[in-house]
Amino acid sequence: MDMFLQQLVNALSLGGTYALLALGLAVVFSIMGLINFAHGELMTAAGYGLIFSLLLGVPFALALPAAVVVAILLAVLMERVAFRSVRGASGTTLLLTSFAVSAIIRVLFQNFISARPMAVRIPMALSGTIEIAGLHLGIIQAISILVTIAMLVGLNLFLHRTVLGRAMRAAAEDFAIVRLMGIRANAVVATAFAISGLLAGVAGVLWVAQRGSVDPLMGFLPVLKAFIAAIIGGLGSLSGAVAGGFLLGFTEVFLQAFLPESLLSYRDAFAIILVIAVLLYAPQGLLARRTVVKL
Amino acid sequence: MVRARRETVIGIVVTSLPIVAAAIIAALLFPGGGERIIALFSIYLVAVLGIGIYAGNSGIVSFGHVGFMAIGAYASGLLTINPVIQKTSLPHLPQWLADMQLPFIPALAAALLVVVFVAVLIGIPIARLGGSAASIATLGFLIIVHVVLVASTNFTRGSQTFFGIPRAVGLWMALPFAIGAVAVARIYRDSTVGLKLRASREDEIAATAVGVNVRLHRFVSWVLGAVLAGVAGALLAHFIGAFSPKDFYFNLTFMLLAMLILGGVTTVSGAVGGTALIMVLVEMLRKFESGLDLGPISLPTVFGLTDIGVGLAILVVMYRLKDGLFGVRELDERLKFLRRFTENPNGVRSGSPETHISPPTGDGALRIENVSKTFSGLVALENANFNIEPGMVIGLIGPNGAGKSTLINSISGIVPPSTGRVLIDGREIASLPTHAVPVAGLGRTFQNIRLFRNLTVLENVVVAASAVRRHGEDPRDGARLALAEVGLGEYVDQLAGELSYGAQRRLEIARALALKPRYLLLDEPAAGMNPAETEDLMHVLDRIRSRYRLGLLVVEHDLKLIMRLCDKVVVLNKGQQIAVGAPAEVQSDPAVIEAYVGRRRPAVSGLDPRPKNAASLSAGRSLQHPALKPEGDLG
Repeated sequence: MDMFLQQLVNALSLGGTYALLALGLAVVFSIMGLINFAHGELMTAAGYGLIFSLLLGVPFALALPAAVVVAILLAVLMERVAFRSVRGASGTTLLLTSFAVSAIIRVLFQNFISARPMAVRIPMALSGTIEIAGLHLGIIQAISILVTIAMLVGLNLFLHRTVLGRAMRAAAEDFAIVRLMGIRANAVVATAFAISGLLAGVAGVLWVAQRGSVDPLMGFLPVLKAFIAAIIGGLGSLSGAVAGGFLLGFTEVFLQAFLPESLLSYRDAFAIILVIAVLLYAPQGLLARRTVVKL
Repeated sequence: MVRARRETVIGIVVTSLPIVAAAIIAALLFPGGGERIIALFSIYLVAVLGIGIYAGNSGIVSFGHVGFMAIGAYASGLLTINPVIQKTSLPHLPQWLADMQLPFIPALAAALLVVVFVAVLIGIPIARLGGSAASIATLGFLIIVHVVLVASTNFTRGSQTFFGIPRAVGLWMALPFAIGAVAVARIYRDSTVGLKLRASREDEIAATAVGVNVRLHRFVSWVLGAVLAGVAGALLAHFIGAFSPKDFYFNLTFMLLAMLILGGVTTVSGAVGGTALIMVLVEMLRKFESGLDLGPISLPTVFGLTDIGVGLAILVVMYRLKDGLFGVRELDERLKFLRRFTENPNGVRSGSPETHISPPTGDGALRIENVSKTFSGLVALENANFNIEPGMVIGLIGPNGAGKSTLINSISGIVPPSTGRVLIDGREIASLPTHAVPVAGLGRTFQNIRLFRNLTVLENVVVAASAVRRHGEDPRDGARLALAEVGLGEYVDQLAGELSYGAQRRLEIARALALKPRYLLLDEPAAGMNPAETEDLMHVLDRIRSRYRLGLLVVEHDLKLIMRLCDKVVVLNKGQQIAVGAPAEVQSDPAVIEAYVGRRRPAVSGLDPRPKNAASLSAGRSLQHPALKPEGDLG
């Protein structure tokens, strides 16, 4: 039972990170139909932001928000430079554009920063464990779960309580109408990107804190998994993205725990197969957004 | 059996000639390096065409085909690898596999069996998806293949280099495969099967409404494309001789996709041109990548310069030339002088009596029995109940939101009814799969025009005609006839999206007619037309219903048109069927007048937005009053 609870905590922590990433993807997708391949580079950028802030002597507690700000800025910049001119184009065009942007940014990281992993000094205070009711809980894991919850609650409040948040929910339904209501399209799209940058930045910092190093490819694999989480949840559905992220996290952690030793290296393959099998039963994803097609 | 048409053969020849020419030049003038480049080009071309068969025709970007290349490479490599090397590099292979050493071609055939097996397995869920979700699922497949290759160390040496594969592939081995791939891709594209998939790429709903089983065709092209990718993988393995799983991952995917979209995703000639251009670009950039010494200036080593080049090439296409360098039509379709080879030698056969559109005979009717539709609690339509007999025109009218389009969508199966039955000659059709309804004798048009915009006028109609073709019949004959019927015979080679608005509406009707339907549902056919176009349309409708004994159901707000054309009028209001009868009866039905103008009641105050005299108008006039056309022409 202890073992089970321990795995549950692991799953919550990993699933939470996937959920944050998938949510960032879904926010942008719901507004402009873009699956942003370069989302992983936002995560990596946050990692580098953390490293360079620390190198500049910024205290750790301030370096964390600085790292997130780097990701937000890069997200907004990306939208302005790369995606604004293809806004409204087909999903395929957007997908391929972001694929190219992602590759280019990755090469820039390799050339201007380093192709090799760079270590991050995580304060000792964070690497310990705490014991709650017999459970050994990594401090970083605990923080990561709490931060995930805070982000989800905060985003929910933003989307339901503020004008811009409401405009964004409306834009996900029908962008043209929102613009007719006098909301500036650029503001909505830029906010969507800023939010996705924020979520990717937070996920990136949590990721780095658990692994202790940053390399140009760091964000790539988790974001690929977040894509899969997002389609399982139903593309463009925010709650679906969160559900998909947790589902994938749980699947991975429990496969890790219960697969026989000889099959462990196949874990990711099993996880993706299991999750894609969901699509046989719910081709639109678990919590698909109902789209109204005018015939 | 696939019968290639004359245009297709010419297309294959035109597309292959430059490749063959390049191979000959390379062999004569640049033996060695030049030959290798053309061989590599041929291999990449096979892979690009494999992706293109699926992505180009279905409109879904695939990241997964490189996974099939990997399977092809490893599976064939395991069979051809030298047993001596194998004994040391892969000591844990099962005995039967370790003993086997095959020549390249049988190994390729065996590898393709594996590829097909995997493609079928993974194709089943992927064919259910569309758009971006399908793309991401293919991405998931690529990751699965990669993880399995890295994890299966006994078979693949994991992430280490897999080596010792005989270099059995050179230029003259690769070239025939490239030409073969061009032929396969082009024949598929031009066949009615490929045409149906291309139609679904343009508009999935409209394709379903003319009898296309979208999932089936996506699945077929997925497997066919996988086979080509598998061939390319096996060729590449026996060209380079040593590789590891990361050689069949994102970098290769990225380059192949750039090749595909630079030329234009939808065409075979685009794939050839794009592959050539990116190869040139990559070869050039690779020279700079390791740094360059230009006397006084020396450029530093730049990692991934080729990636940047390829990335920028993709961005240029996305920003500037949406459809790629070659656009949406094949090269040979643009070259005028090739036309004379492609003219139909028998002359235009349309109009010859034996190819007349002849609906299957049989009496009976289209019965709509108690059809209701609710959308999560909202009753959009309740108990619609009437018949359409062959040769009759039924008008369906009602104010905004009355449920007219819901009714048409329910009858045609696009939005299946919640309860009730739709019967053609006693055969229940509401329970059929949506794509089977049109073939059962029911054609339709859409309120908002849904054409296959990047297909030609003729192709638009051929999609429908091929759904109902009988054995040995050329669907193009039926299509030409249907086009002549609506007066579009002159425009066969134009892209549908380039037609004028009125012509687009008529093209939709021609497309529905080509299904040889017994009943035709027209959702606001005259919306947005000017009076002259409307007048034309009325003649067309009147002619087709009497010539083919078609039963027509026409939704229209132009009440003048309805009253003149229809034998019977059905009136809906708030989801209820409030009247059925001859136009004159309906016009004077109090319930109908109430629905359109409201009940006569004492004038209260200025708050009443209706014209004060509305209720006192005679019923006949009131229905023709322009202010009483409840929906605007915007539809």
